[in-house]
Amino acid sequence: MSTLVSQVTAIAAMNIKSIPQRLWMSLSTVVAIALVVAVLLAFLAMGNGFRQAQASAGAADIAILLRDGAQTEINSAVTREQADLVEEGPGIAREDGRALVSAELYVIVDGVSRSSHLRANLPLRGLPLAGVDLRHNVRIASGRMFRPGTAEIVVGRSVTREFEGFDLGKTLRLGQSVWTIVGVFEDGGTVRESELWGDVGVVQSVFKRQNFFQTIRVRLQSAASLPALKAYVDNDPRLKLVVETEAEYFAEQAKQSGDLIQKLGWPLAIIMAIGALAGALNTMYSSVASRSTEIATLRAIGFGRIPTFAGTLAEALALAALGGVVGVIAATLLFQGYTASTLSANFTQVVFTFKVTPALCVSALVLALVVGVIGGIFPALRAARQPIVGMLGEQ
Amino acid sequence: MNQALLVAKNLSRRKLRTLLMLVAIFIAFFLYGALECFDHAFHASETAAAADRLVTVNRINFTMPLPINYADRVRQVAGVKDVTYQSWFGGYYQDPKVPLFMFAVEPASYLAVYPAIQMAPEQRKAWLSNHTALAVGKKTAAQYNWKVGDRIPIKSNIYSRKDGAAAWEFDIAAIFSDPDETARENLVLMRFDNFNEAVTFGRDQVNMLVFSTSSNKLNDSVAKAVDALFANSEAETTTDTAAAFNRAFAAQLGNIALIVTLVVATAFAAILMIVGNTLVMSVRERTREIGVLKTLGFRGSTILSQILAESLLLAILGALLGLLVAAGAVAVVGRNIAGFGDTMRMTSGIFVGGLGWAVLLGLVTGAIPAWSAMRLQIAVALGRK
Repeated sequence: MSTLVSQVTAIAAMNIKSIPQRLWMSLSTVVAIALVVAVLLAFLAMGNGFRQAQASAGAADIAILLRDGAQTEINSAVTREQADLVEEGPGIAREDGRALVSAELYVIVDGVSRSSHLRANLPLRGLPLAGVDLRHNVRIASGRMFRPGTAEIVVGRSVTREFEGFDLGKTLRLGQSVWTIVGVFEDGGTVRESELWGDVGVVQSVFKRQNFFQTIRVRLQSAASLPALKAYVDNDPRLKLVVETEAEYFAEQAKQSGDLIQKLGWPLAIIMAIGALAGALNTMYSSVASRSTEIATLRAIGFGRIPTFAGTLAEALALAALGGVVGVIAATLLFQGYTASTLSANFTQVVFTFKVTPALCVSALVLALVVGVIGGIFPALRAARQPIVGMLGEQ
Repeated sequence: MNQALLVAKNLSRRKLRTLLMLVAIFIAFFLYGALECFDHAFHASETAAAADRLVTVNRINFTMPLPINYADRVRQVAGVKDVTYQSWFGGYYQDPKVPLFMFAVEPASYLAVYPAIQMAPEQRKAWLSNHTALAVGKKTAAQYNWKVGDRIPIKSNIYSRKDGAAAWEFDIAAIFSDPDETARENLVLMRFDNFNEAVTFGRDQVNMLVFSTSSNKLNDSVAKAVDALFANSEAETTTDTAAAFNRAFAAQLGNIALIVTLVVATAFAAILMIVGNTLVMSVRERTREIGVLKTLGFRGSTILSQILAESLLLAILGALLGLLVAAGAVAVVGRNIAGFGDTMRMTSGIFVGGLGWAVLLGLVTGAIPAWSAMRLQIAVALGRK
């Protein structure tokens, strides 16, 4: 057994050390595998980044109420009467007797993308200052919060970065109204950073939607008080609303497009991997061919078939692993933190950054190694089956 | 003939190696073909939109309403031919997760602005006269297996009815096609008067005006005139060509063209490495033979063209296979994705473009081995092991 192990190690080491002799062919395999890995990882990081931007925005102790069947904020509608009824509900956290509830209006306004110079949909959210407090992680990065009753807005950091004219101090004309940007807020890169916030009353009057809201957010006493609030809403026929935690709501939003992006990435990468596999097979067959004398010699002096097989497979795996690592490093350098935006289920732009994670790198490396195994196994079989005499005699 | 024979013999001397190179080339061109077709379908609405068609939306955003009377005022603007208006209905049939591409429109003016729409005369009459009539694009009709005369319930995730009914009942009056813009065959069109009478809010408001101009040379001046008409009013407008509007909308989904370009470039870079290196190696193995050919009197340029012919043949063969399979694949996929249909197909531009890339690939991968073989000196060639 130990002979076998030492034989395998010896041949594997010899093969790998001799790779520079076949530099260009080996390099082409490494590069092809690296490219496949980089493409896969780019798609995975894109899907993951999109999902993270939404999923990480949701809190478990905040409930969101939408009109039954609306599914998204933009399609929802809530009346003043309904908002007042919800405030009376059980399970809602209260401060000095006031329920921590935020009835919000959500309208879409145009922004011009810095990269495409085309108009894109941005969400303008009207909310009370109490609503700002329902977002745990939001903090003002520069400037200050809007003052209630004024045409002041604060904008998410992503909006300032990706769209023209949303810098601190700039004014924004929406119809007949002129708004001043008094602050920029950040929220750890979540979907919220793609929003504009203003006072709900002012937004309602400017957009002529007095007494009309889209959603209600409430702070729950704890995540466990959700069922009580749900039961209260279900039992009141005037409240045709769906209650869920913000975490659930965002998880559902994130799933749709995030899954789609990743579902595109895998087939694409697998098709490309077949091309890289053809290259790997070519490289390994030519490696076996160029080492035929060497292999026959080794066999003649007592090395077995298994070490010969394993040695060739090890070479293929080494090339694949190298390609995989190069691909992972390249994709991480190129795409980690790269910003993009797409249309969300709410019909507005979500700005998100590509997120390469160790888990994604592992799946990309697995694909590289699969190419290595398949690309090595057949040439390795050929190496192991080579007749000793024929090969030595051929030269 | 002898030349061709030599090229064929060289390619078939190591069949597995040639086959593997073909597979790599095939994959790259399959990806090129499939992704370019997808990109083309994605942007089809920009290129297919009639050149004399303009779209007016609320300046704040196209989801914001415009008063319905704007249509009459736009109709008065010099250079405007036909005006229609529409509102997104947010309709779905049974499954709220699968939206219909459904608008409330005014039938007569809609058909005037979209003259390519084809429906049987009696169906057209029914749609124009029956209040609850629905005109359905033939692709959506096929998808849901709807027939003329069917009565179907549709719900809206935006609008509710004054009478409290959860669903809107429609009679399918017409099934239409639009050979100019096949994407239109996914639409479901209800009558605006029906919409306007039933809704609890949003009455007399529309999402956008669509109109044609008497000549597309007037587009710019008409657009400016329309926007000037509503400047400083309750609802200011932005007017653009339908093509530009569609382009901005498509761009909101993401820079698909950039992604396609990057993936295709990556695939091409990979085969450039694989095929280029394999050819260098394969010619290197034949050094002695090339020496012999030269001894026999073959000129350097003949050898050069032989090797280039070999690399070109390989590239074009692989590319043809890849493009043909891609054409078949996108036709199948296109039929199964709502909203794409036969806009997703291999165009001659994509096909010829692919062959162009194949020629370039063949020349580039063949260049180094062909050049070194041409320059090879007989004494060196015969002496090299």
